[in-house]
Amino acid sequence: MNLVVPIKLVPDLVEELVIDASGARLDPDALRLKLNEFDDHAIEQAILLKEKGAGQVTVVAPDIEGVDDALFTAAAKGADRLIKLTGNWNNGVNNHALARVFANFVETLRPELILTGVQAHNDLDGAVGPQLAEHLGMPYVGYVSGVVVFDNKAQVRKEFPGGLIAEMDVVLPAVLGIQAAEKPPRYVPISKVRATMKTAKLETFPAAELETAGAPTTVRLFQPETGARATMLAGDADAVATRLVEIFREQGIL
Amino acid sequence: MSYDLLKSVVVLIALLIAGGVFGWRAYQLLWINLRRGQKSPEAFGRWGERVKGVLAYVAAQGRLFRVLVPGTAHFFIFWGFLLLSLTILQAIVEGLFAFIDPHFKLPIIGEFGPLALIQDFFALFVVIAICYALYLRLVVNPERYKGSHKSQGVMVLSFIMTIMLTLLVFNGIAINLHKDSIAAWRPISTLFGLPFAGLDKTAQFVVGEIAYWLHLGVVMFFLTELPEGKHFHIVTSVPAVFLRDLDPPGRLPKAPEFDGKLGVSTVNQFRWRQMLDFYTCTECGRCQDVCPAYASAQILSPKLLMMNLREHLTARDGKPLIGDPISEQVLWSCTTCYACDQECPLFINRVKTIVDMRRYLVSEGRMDAQLQEALAKLGRYGNSFGQSERNRAKWAATVQPKIKDARKEPVEYLWFVGDYASYSPSVVDITRQTAAVFQRAGLDFGILYEGERNSGNDVRRVGEEGLFEMLVEKNVAALGKANFKTIVTTDPHTYNSLKNEYPADATRNTQHYAELLDQLITSGKLKFSKKLDYTVTYHDPCYLGRYNGVYAAPRRVIEATGCRLVEMPRHGDRALCCGAGGGRIWMEEGAVKERPSESRIREAVALDGVSVFVAACPKDITMFRDAVKTTGSEARLVVKDLIELVNEAMT
Repeated sequence: MNLVVPIKLVPDLVEELVIDASGARLDPDALRLKLNEFDDHAIEQAILLKEKGAGQVTVVAPDIEGVDDALFTAAAKGADRLIKLTGNWNNGVNNHALARVFANFVETLRPELILTGVQAHNDLDGAVGPQLAEHLGMPYVGYVSGVVVFDNKAQVRKEFPGGLIAEMDVVLPAVLGIQAAEKPPRYVPISKVRATMKTAKLETFPAAELETAGAPTTVRLFQPETGARATMLAGDADAVATRLVEIFREQGIL
Repeated sequence: MSYDLLKSVVVLIALLIAGGVFGWRAYQLLWINLRRGQKSPEAFGRWGERVKGVLAYVAAQGRLFRVLVPGTAHFFIFWGFLLLSLTILQAIVEGLFAFIDPHFKLPIIGEFGPLALIQDFFALFVVIAICYALYLRLVVNPERYKGSHKSQGVMVLSFIMTIMLTLLVFNGIAINLHKDSIAAWRPISTLFGLPFAGLDKTAQFVVGEIAYWLHLGVVMFFLTELPEGKHFHIVTSVPAVFLRDLDPPGRLPKAPEFDGKLGVSTVNQFRWRQMLDFYTCTECGRCQDVCPAYASAQILSPKLLMMNLREHLTARDGKPLIGDPISEQVLWSCTTCYACDQECPLFINRVKTIVDMRRYLVSEGRMDAQLQEALAKLGRYGNSFGQSERNRAKWAATVQPKIKDARKEPVEYLWFVGDYASYSPSVVDITRQTAAVFQRAGLDFGILYEGERNSGNDVRRVGEEGLFEMLVEKNVAALGKANFKTIVTTDPHTYNSLKNEYPADATRNTQHYAELLDQLITSGKLKFSKKLDYTVTYHDPCYLGRYNGVYAAPRRVIEATGCRLVEMPRHGDRALCCGAGGGRIWMEEGAVKERPSESRIREAVALDGVSVFVAACPKDITMFRDAVKTTGSEARLVVKDLIELVNEAMT
């Protein structure tokens, strides 16, 4: 079976986010990108399926800084093909454009199952998965935390808000939005990643023209404003507790 | 056939059988099994030092006396064994040549009076020592023997006792029968002969012969049993000490690689010198007694680990090592504090062996989630806090005058700050005080700012060799850009790795700040404005003390500040680990009876009048400040860094 995992890199929130002079986007010089956490789960889920005997795993990513590390790490975990899509990514890309680029390319791989991260913290215009499914005319199931593959269908566990879990069958080919892999993403020792760097091949293909139609346009970004809202309650435990109850009442919580 | 001829024949046959069995078993264990191991470059070279080692640690039994009374008993048993092996030889030869002369004496060995006198007394000493050893094993039965083969131990002691008593009896009877030309030199044997002196000559002869056969029989049987269990150390201890690992304990060997995976997963993947350690373990349990992991949760016993490995090696089953009986939990419990290896009379390396097996677990990705997260952060950001490397020197933003960037201007001292001192919110104040002290002492120093990474000391001890190498490369590149004469570190763990594991040309001279402060005080560059009036105790960090032998410098600094130093019972090379080392600080704690850090704080609180607990390691500060709270000792004890005392005495 042909498993494809399109991944994207997102700003690392450990670094300070700086808004550039235009005011409408993050300063790329201050940014450091890392693999979207949910995409990491999608990779893990694909490799778990592979280890259960289901075919080969291809990981596809836009060719931006930091992507090599992400791809080699995926290979060290067990991914078979690593593909970078070259294009004009310098000005950033929204999910509408990215989903079109992925759809355009992924079609050529004739995938039977596409696993994407269900979301990313910078999804301003919807997640990649459903858009990709729409372009490819495939069914989509999101918030998936378990997959079993049969001949031409996948049985998936989908999580609903409120802790409800549904088990459903999806006819393949299909796109899944992975919320969590069955097991937490594995640790690969650095020595193995480094060895993989020497042996694994990164394939590059040109990305289609970026087509952002349908996506909202960002006009301005703001840093969160900090307000001085904390109030310290003084006095003994009883006084503090009484005051707390009053505050809860005032706020309509009690 | 005469009795004498029969005696010769029986002794010959017994000798051949016992010698053959011993030789065959020893050949299997030492030749066949050890040859399956890997190359051991650490066992060769520096021969003079090795000879000295044998004199100090075998002949003088140097490390045995760390546990005084049992050590002394062992000293007499060991020397008794050496001296009396000559009398055993004499007995065997006497039997072998009985058909020529029933009282055949070897030249010198059998006839030299002064030697006979020494042997006679040593036979008595051994008897006394064995009585004590039996009492220790059967009556006292200290905790350290838990898990050791008790019946084997008692059996061996009984053998030695029988060998000694029968020797004294047949010597005594020979004296009674006037068949000993140097009888005057054997007062103890004479005493042992007295009870039989009243019997007639034939009866005495029979008793003497029974004693002789018992003596010889036990000797021969003991010989066949020697290559088994703990008493095999009689054979292996001399080579084990002679061929011991002379590399610094703080320098781990490179990770072995098998089929693309780092680390050791089967017994044959160990180096043969490590295998020799497994045979050499005497099950004395001194390692178990000092192990913080054993004391806190009883999961890891360094002694049982060695015994398990020996079983694997002897069984030659090729089974995977890790799982049963060496659980992953056992391997992860180790804090790499080195107390076990330091205590071991026979220089067995446990820490290095544990790390080899951890390396395999890491290569398989088998580790707890917390450790995995810490390693991922270290891989990405170069620190275990998962913070941006750009923020590494954030603590220094408020320091005035601004600390030099050693990558941009030459400095005499390059201060390698380390993760905890840089990022831990509860430690950065101490880091700023360190900067203040350095500045007031007029030190020409700088830091690497965001160029510094975790040194990798504990990353390596977790078993993540590839990540360690990556961190070394990055630090070496940053150090390469800097112009400095000496590195000074805050963290003893960093100190250890830079000093022992980094390329020497990249790190040059490495000091811990305790050593630097000591020098600055001695040379008069650092002056105190007042005398402090605290009674303090000092905790030796494992990687400063045991690993690198820095004990005196921090104590001199403490005394120079005017504080009175009271030692904890466990101090110096016996100091108890705080529990954080070897990556333990990144792992899930698991069920513990008493945390090592809490045990340590209780030890300090029990000291009369001590109000300050002085540490010289940022991880210690974190661990012990927590332990003061969890043991409810806030009113009794304050944990301070050495630099806080110095800073206080300067201002």
